[in-house]
Amino acid sequence: MNDPRARIIETAGKCLYCGFCEALCPTRPLGPHRGYGPRGRVNIAYMLAKGDVEASNHVVESLYSCLLCRACELKCPIALPIAEIIRNARGLVAEPGLKASRTHSINRVQVFARRT
Amino acid sequence: MGKAKVIDDPAIAILYTREPSGIRGSHVKAVVFPEEEKDVSLILKTAYKYNVPIYPQGSSTSLSGNSVPLEPGIVVSMERMNRVLEINIVDNYVVVEPGVRMEDLNAELAKYRYMFPVDPASSSVATIGGAINNGAGGLRGAKYGTMRDWLLAVRLGIADEEGSILNLGCYTVKCRSGYDLARLIVGSEGTLGIVTRAVLRITPLPEDTVYALSFFDSLEDLMEAFIEIRRSRLNPFMLEFMDSATVDYASKSLDLPYEPKGNLFLVGIETSPESNQRILDTLTSLLESHGAHTIITAHGDKEAHDKKLFAVRKNLFTGQARYTLEKEGSSGRIMVMIEDIVVPPSKVPEAVTLIRGLGEKYGFTVFIGGHIGDGNLHPAVGFNAEDEEERKRVEQWFHEVMEIALKLGGSISAEHGIGLLKKQGLRMELEYKNSLKALQLMKEIKKAFDPKGLLNPGKVL
Repeated sequence: MNDPRARIIETAGKCLYCGFCEALCPTRPLGPHRGYGPRGRVNIAYMLAKGDVEASNHVVESLYSCLLCRACELKCPIALPIAEIIRNARGLVAEPGLKASRTHSINRVQVFARRT
Repeated sequence: MGKAKVIDDPAIAILYTREPSGIRGSHVKAVVFPEEEKDVSLILKTAYKYNVPIYPQGSSTSLSGNSVPLEPGIVVSMERMNRVLEINIVDNYVVVEPGVRMEDLNAELAKYRYMFPVDPASSSVATIGGAINNGAGGLRGAKYGTMRDWLLAVRLGIADEEGSILNLGCYTVKCRSGYDLARLIVGSEGTLGIVTRAVLRITPLPEDTVYALSFFDSLEDLMEAFIEIRRSRLNPFMLEFMDSATVDYASKSLDLPYEPKGNLFLVGIETSPESNQRILDTLTSLLESHGAHTIITAHGDKEAHDKKLFAVRKNLFTGQARYTLEKEGSSGRIMVMIEDIVVPPSKVPEAVTLIRGLGEKYGFTVFIGGHIGDGNLHPAVGFNAEDEEERKRVEQWFHEVMEIALKLGGSISAEHGIGLLKKQGLRMELEYKNSLKALQLMKEIKKAFDPKGLLNPGKVL
């Protein structure tokens, strides 16, 4: 399946919401809310792909705070390809027409990522 | 409180309306993140003034719909109040904020060779506040009990004009200051107040441990071995069980140094270096004499991990989830409903037989595992959450499993709580015990703590 949006819906929609992934995530304890952990990001990606939420600054910060280290994938009971989901979701928010405020959010998160 | 402690973006707020049971709550106006006790007080005071429903949350790993919001209000996430404030070895207690993860607490305590023994399967992410409010237990329940055995005191915020913070309980094991309001908070599921600080008992790590993982062809033989161990003075802290069909699914895709075939029985006993071998010999001999065809033993936690003694048991949820995923294919959203009954340990053999029969009646593949040392069983069924008919059938199965527990002198919930999923079950249990009046007493208690009914409304009662 090549369509990233469809691929996110197919994979991220399976998340059981167990939260076990959060135990290994290096950014989760440093971030201000659940969106800074894999469980939050996967579900944000799913809602974004379905068109249920907009690419708000919080959404962009959530997706770009991921280090793509894949530690979370070791803990996922159904072996979701979490890093792939995040990469595809970043593609959705970076589609043409990216607003300046979103660029600002990405820059903010890059600062956060360097600190971690 | 400041803008940084409040998020009203729906994309983030919705992350606080779900839990692993698959139960989904309604949208909330905002998620509020207190960082200190005075924030909690302010939230409660303001909510009281403006009649705003409050849904306190830990890490949302509960399994009975315990903390999902049901009506427009606010989620109060305790995740930022996550400091270990005091470790007192001489007086054997710790003081922690509610957002501390259970494994993080144990990592701190391990530096002193101490532990907090309550260990739910979700302890890597479950928080102390959530564990108190859910009355959590875990694998060590056979020896160490549940949260109610380890909570000494709490500071509790209540919804009143001032957002009062109450000190309930004592820092000492012995404490007789009127009614035991501290332990009333255990299992109250956020319906009475918000825990801002907890004082917990701690205990030394065992000097040594031994483990035996065994497999039995006959379920009856395994159960006899279990009963024999209960009769002995071995006093295991861990007695875990999985039936043979469950072992088959849960061991798929695992690379193990033994053949996982038959019904699984895992025993853990605390020992000393002097008693290790003697106790292990006694245990092995007991298992052999009851027909175990495979026995793998280990001295200490490291060897047990190296030999993968816990691998199959730990893979129970994963096995169930992957089996359901394979069965349902790529369409739809899967859900795993995990039951949580408890029966007197002597009744476990009968309970397992009845649950197996019930699964056959419904045509479900029921995964049966549990902490049988304290009589706690977790039969589970996976299904397509978008199939409404199937969901209703699973709920009916759930109900009948609870009936089995009551008929055998047990209870409908051991450690997952009531939440939304077991409200009918609670009523059924109290009716069964001819004590429906207790439900009224509980409602009066709720009203005394929370007269406007703002705290986690719609749950438990």
